Amino acid sequence: MTQQGLFTHYDPGNFYDEMFSCPDSPRLHYSKIYQKLAAMARAQFEERRKLADLSFLLQGITFTVYSDGRGTERLFPFDLIPRILPNSEWQRIDSGLAQRVVALNLFLQDVYGKQSILKDRTIPPSLVYSCKHFHREMIGVKVPRGIHTHICGIDLVRDSKTGEFCVLEDNVRTPSGISYVLENRAVMTRTFPDAFQDHEVLPVNQYPAELGRILRSLSPRGEDDAQIVLLTPGIHNSAYFEHSFLAQEMGIELVEGRDLVVDGGVVFMKTIRGLKRVDVIYRRVDDTYLDSLCFRPDSFLGVPGLMTAYRSGNVALANAVGNGVADDKAIYAYVPEFIRYYLGEDPILRSVETYICSKADHLKFVLENIEELVVKNVGESGGYGMLIGPAVERTRCDEYRERIRNNPRDFIAQPVIPLSRVPSYDAAAGNVAGCHVDLRPYCLYDGEKVIIVPGGLTRVALQRGSLVVNSSQGGGSKDTWVLRGES
Amino acid sequence: MLSRIADSMFWLARYIERAEDTARILDVTYHALLEQAQHPYRLRWDALIAMAGEESRFRQLHREANALSVFEFLAFNHDNPSSIVQCITKARENARTIRDRISREMWEDINGLYLTVTGFNAAEQIAIGPHRFCEKIKFGSHRFHGVTDATLPHDESWEFLRIGWSLERAEMTARLVDVQYHTLLDAASTVSPPDNHQWMAVLKSVGAYEAYHRQYHASIEPERVAQLLILHPQHPRSIRFTIQEVQAGLRAISGTGPGSYANEAERLTGKLLERLRYDRIEEIFRQGLHSYLNELLRMCEAIGEDIARTYFYYAVVA
Repeated sequence: MTQQGLFTHYDPGNFYDEMFSCPDSPRLHYSKIYQKLAAMARAQFEERRKLADLSFLLQGITFTVYSDGRGTERLFPFDLIPRILPNSEWQRIDSGLAQRVVALNLFLQDVYGKQSILKDRTIPPSLVYSCKHFHREMIGVKVPRGIHTHICGIDLVRDSKTGEFCVLEDNVRTPSGISYVLENRAVMTRTFPDAFQDHEVLPVNQYPAELGRILRSLSPRGEDDAQIVLLTPGIHNSAYFEHSFLAQEMGIELVEGRDLVVDGGVVFMKTIRGLKRVDVIYRRVDDTYLDSLCFRPDSFLGVPGLMTAYRSGNVALANAVGNGVADDKAIYAYVPEFIRYYLGEDPILRSVETYICSKADHLKFVLENIEELVVKNVGESGGYGMLIGPAVERTRCDEYRERIRNNPRDFIAQPVIPLSRVPSYDAAAGNVAGCHVDLRPYCLYDGEKVIIVPGGLTRVALQRGSLVVNSSQGGGSKDTWVLRGES
Repeated sequence: MLSRIADSMFWLARYIERAEDTARILDVTYHALLEQAQHPYRLRWDALIAMAGEESRFRQLHREANALSVFEFLAFNHDNPSSIVQCITKARENARTIRDRISREMWEDINGLYLTVTGFNAAEQIAIGPHRFCEKIKFGSHRFHGVTDATLPHDESWEFLRIGWSLERAEMTARLVDVQYHTLLDAASTVSPPDNHQWMAVLKSVGAYEAYHRQYHASIEPERVAQLLILHPQHPRSIRFTIQEVQAGLRAISGTGPGSYANEAERLTGKLLERLRYDRIEEIFRQGLHSYLNELLRMCEAIGEDIARTYFYYAVVA
């Protein structure tokens, strides 16, 4: 089969290509969509692409960037060529993630409870205590139903060297992006209805209902009267669209900090008919902004007194406070140990080799080899505070050496993972090119089982050659298909 | 319903209405003024600015009130908080904060209007004149009313919207009549015969030209125009009608029956409506139209403030 149409001159390069096993020959699970796309004229494809973009624009599905100091709304670029996973591959990911989420939850229960893992020295206590997201305010707090990690977004990448998925980072604080999963699918079914006729794609739209069920189950006053709200930092937050989207999908109230008040250790919201009690808060405000009496005194995004209400068990929060200690990028290196320690199992999904700069031998190695490594700030997310050694000038590396030496606890380093690629449309060139992708599945934990909507958000580095997929750094996304079978 | 959401509903409606009313006045007056460009009345571009209550800001930005500067200022100016583009932007921002509480169609409609309006090239629009632009705004507002009526449950949210646009419309109509009457009276003392051209424009701007003719079968008399716009019981842009709407909305929310009131906003609305029901236009002119309308505007403002105190910003005793 020779490559045609959009795929003329397509070069999978030296990376694992999700569509092609070797140049000219698509993998089994991609063969049907490949035929369809290859037979399509560029103009036809362009037309559908414009339709998709327009649909996002009219719906106002945007995120906010603050580069110009004013905050402008931008479209999250959407690439029409889907990322496809055969069922068997997904099954392995699904069980690996479930295992990981349960272990992370047990770790959080432990670290804010008996602390046996610290006493056993399975993880150095100093590493936990020095984490800035470890909140002593949470020690001894009995969270409803023992759940800390209600919602996790765990970033996976496929290593081109092995073709295997591994975990890049855990996001167990307030992961975002699920709304794009659902909207991408909605737009995709409208713009490419014919493609769905050839494939059995597993649905994703059960997510809001599952999340709603979990939130209801946390209510201290029983499920029937539960008043559930989603707490947003407000319209200027980059994920505001998602907040309103989820609130609407779950039929719960979208509130800002100024809508809530704590009286006598109970949370109320201000309605046109006076105060109304609130039982469960799905909060999309970071820990340190939640309660100006307990954390940052300058925060206007939270509710003064909220932590008192939370600790008294009068209100449930999802996710729990203090989860950042579990997705700290240095503590990440110990998650395989958590899985062995708490579950007595071997990790199903591999983690990326990680050098912890607060360890003397690791520090030495990192300083000597920084040009070959990716350096990350342990508490940052969203692609900020990161250095990709091979891609930058020597002076930048020296700058980071200095920063690492000054604050070794703040940094880890990892080898550069050659991320797999998926053909993606390049509007300027009018053809497709391989772009690096990651995968963020969204895991819900109800205290008994982990529910993962099949697939997740495939983020794609649309800038040629770039390895950074974050939306704030010019990344886009793709609809992710998990097939019911293998093709 | 959250107080903040009620607040946003109220302002969403007010901004849409303000945009529409400004567009109507701009469109009609603009063309009326062009037609009588050679007329001795030295009017009256400033009247449009006075109506928006933005004289001092306008003077900071433009030296002279003329067709171009007024159109720019009222339609596109970023520093004029009441310019049409600013109103649509704020309406859309309010809608965005409550997009989980309005229908998807409503959101997409207002977002579409926002994208259209902000996508306009101001210089191009100014060159071709305001008509096409104003039509877009008018129909955008009508469509939004229609979509709202057809897709939003007629519950408290809908009532706050209804109160918002009715109160805004009452104020805009009061300002329109006041300013036009003023300028015409000034002119009448120096020029005769009085010109009814301007009043025709006023009627057209609120879409009441045809209604006037059906009602009075007569030439256009300033007193009758004022009567129609202030006291008409059924015309949807008369002040009396819009205050009736405010009252109906407030009562639907509080559940109060006729003859009583549950809060200060309802008391004032009732009081205002009684005046509008029983005052005669001759009495109004005896008092002085300007002073009458001023009183009316102050009451509308007070009603707005009392609605906010009752439902949006009440003190929480914790």
